[in-house]
Amino acid sequence: MIECPVCHATHVPNTLFCSECGTYLSGEERQGTDALETQQAEPGRPDQAEAGAVARCQGRLCLRLRIGESGRLVELPLERTLHLGRLDPSQDVFPEVDLTQDAGVAKGVSRRHARISRRDEAVVIEDLDSVNGTFINGKRLAPYQPERLHNGDQLRLGSLSIAVELFSANQE
Amino acid sequence: MAATIISQPFWFAGTQFGDPMTSSPLGRDSDQSERAEAFNLRLIASHTLLQVMAEEQAFYLLLSITPRRESGPARQPLNLCLVLDRSTSMQGARLQQVKEATWRLIDNLEPEDVLSLVTFSDRAEVLLPGQCDVDKAAAKARVSTLQASGGTEILQGLLAGLREIERSRLPDSVNYLALITDGHTYGDEPACLEQARQARAHQIIISPIGIGHDWNEEFLDELAALSGGTCRYVDAPHKIADAFNEAVRQLRGIIARELKITVAPTAGVRVHELFQVAPYIQRLPLVDHDTVQAWLGPLSAGQSKVLLLELRLQVTEAGQRLLADIRITGELPGQPQRQHEAKLAVSADFAAVGQSELEIPPAIVSALSRLTAYKLQEKALRDVQAGDLGAATQRLEAMATRLLSLGETELARSALLEAGQLARSGALSAEGRKKLRYGTRGLSTLLQGELQ
Repeated sequence: MIECPVCHATHVPNTLFCSECGTYLSGEERQGTDALETQQAEPGRPDQAEAGAVARCQGRLCLRLRIGESGRLVELPLERTLHLGRLDPSQDVFPEVDLTQDAGVAKGVSRRHARISRRDEAVVIEDLDSVNGTFINGKRLAPYQPERLHNGDQLRLGSLSIAVELFSANQE
Repeated sequence: MAATIISQPFWFAGTQFGDPMTSSPLGRDSDQSERAEAFNLRLIASHTLLQVMAEEQAFYLLLSITPRRESGPARQPLNLCLVLDRSTSMQGARLQQVKEATWRLIDNLEPEDVLSLVTFSDRAEVLLPGQCDVDKAAAKARVSTLQASGGTEILQGLLAGLREIERSRLPDSVNYLALITDGHTYGDEPACLEQARQARAHQIIISPIGIGHDWNEEFLDELAALSGGTCRYVDAPHKIADAFNEAVRQLRGIIARELKITVAPTAGVRVHELFQVAPYIQRLPLVDHDTVQAWLGPLSAGQSKVLLLELRLQVTEAGQRLLADIRITGELPGQPQRQHEAKLAVSADFAAVGQSELEIPPAIVSALSRLTAYKLQEKALRDVQAGDLGAATQRLEAMATRLLSLGETELARSALLEAGQLARSGALSAEGRKKLRYGTRGLSTLLQGELQ
């Protein structure tokens, strides 16, 4: 059996959508999250400890993205996986964070570029095999290898820069 | 894309077609396709390679039945009966719009078409007995006399309407009963559903049109599904004429009738669920559970039918496996006595080690995503009926999330509004319920384009 990461209902293997809460049980998620547990938290980053604490206490962790030169702000609760990319209804691509208006095409953002999700107390970002890559603080991610995302990180999708803030909804 | 698409055109040519898995579509020459009325079957499987497992696993199939572009509909006379609700609640704009829509429909009749009119409240009256070459002026004058009064007893209207259709049917006519109502019927639902089953056996399609918000959508949907018809939701009286036109347009475009799917799973395989996902989402009532059968109604030109099957597999040995045989049968206009059929076989490879494919064809993900929104709506309704308001609210919110990811912001907003309404009042609004049901049901429109 496989378990829905959101509502914990169990389903037979290869089930694509959770019948209880509608979550997409995509292939990568179905493999479980073992890879993450081997990663060590970087020392000397108070923000990260704070974000973890917030997640533990409140359970309403939010993500704030400051996008590109315009500094457009996007705030979303991290209750489900958030996809970053360019909207393309004809290809059935509907990212939660649509970067079309941030010169996404010119800056090399793919339709399905990356996704951010919560894994227990950590927030992770995964590059979805994008053409021009996803970078955290200048370091390029290997496709489909979730990397931990911290408060204050600088993301880059292609050549589009995005500043990341993690905060608790109840405190703001 | 790891999963292959098994795509082969098939022709409804009686005994003419060969084994779909071995014969090349190009091998079928033009003289055959000219003779045969035709549509294509196309099958997309979620996986071509799976891992063997001791436990059951899911496997999805998307099957589209697409009329071939060049196959125009053969002219078939319509045997049409309008069963009109004239209960008190129809008074005013509703009845007026029904009258006007009926006048327009009468104007558009061809000489060979048969029309009968039945009205009902607590009892039924035949306003116009079934006849072809309708005297249009006289028929319209009769419609004008309609007045609203009394309750709503659908069974009465249904019985009178079915009698009229039986009386005036021709060997090749398209028999169609349109039930126009705005209210609940009390106590006679089971008898109505039994009539729908009988109608199906007599090749009569029942398509209800529900006006306003105060009717039972589950009942009318089932009535339609049992007989191969479509239930339409009309939220404002001025849309009644459009619903009539749409129904008649589809009837005139019929290129195959009595379409039926039969799925024969092999050992270790079972059909878990069967849905029509286009032209709209509908749970298909299964006629038989061993070899699964379901009626698909008529196929009209320019409109594909797309089905989604969820199979459950229990395969413990590696190698290639036949999973199921699928058969689509139907009748072509002008050949009512002859069964035509198309078959295809579904198989997959099973590996002892490694993983099942992770890359799922987008068409399957897309169809399932929409179907999931529809099913969440069904479940939320059941939660409400069971008194579990907390679960229903969560379900509606989950549904809104799914709808947002489909770009359906308007419907997502309706779902959230209903979640709020539920939290405040402990009940869904009749309007919201219908909006969500028929809205999610119609989500499949995008899908049509993707598959063609």
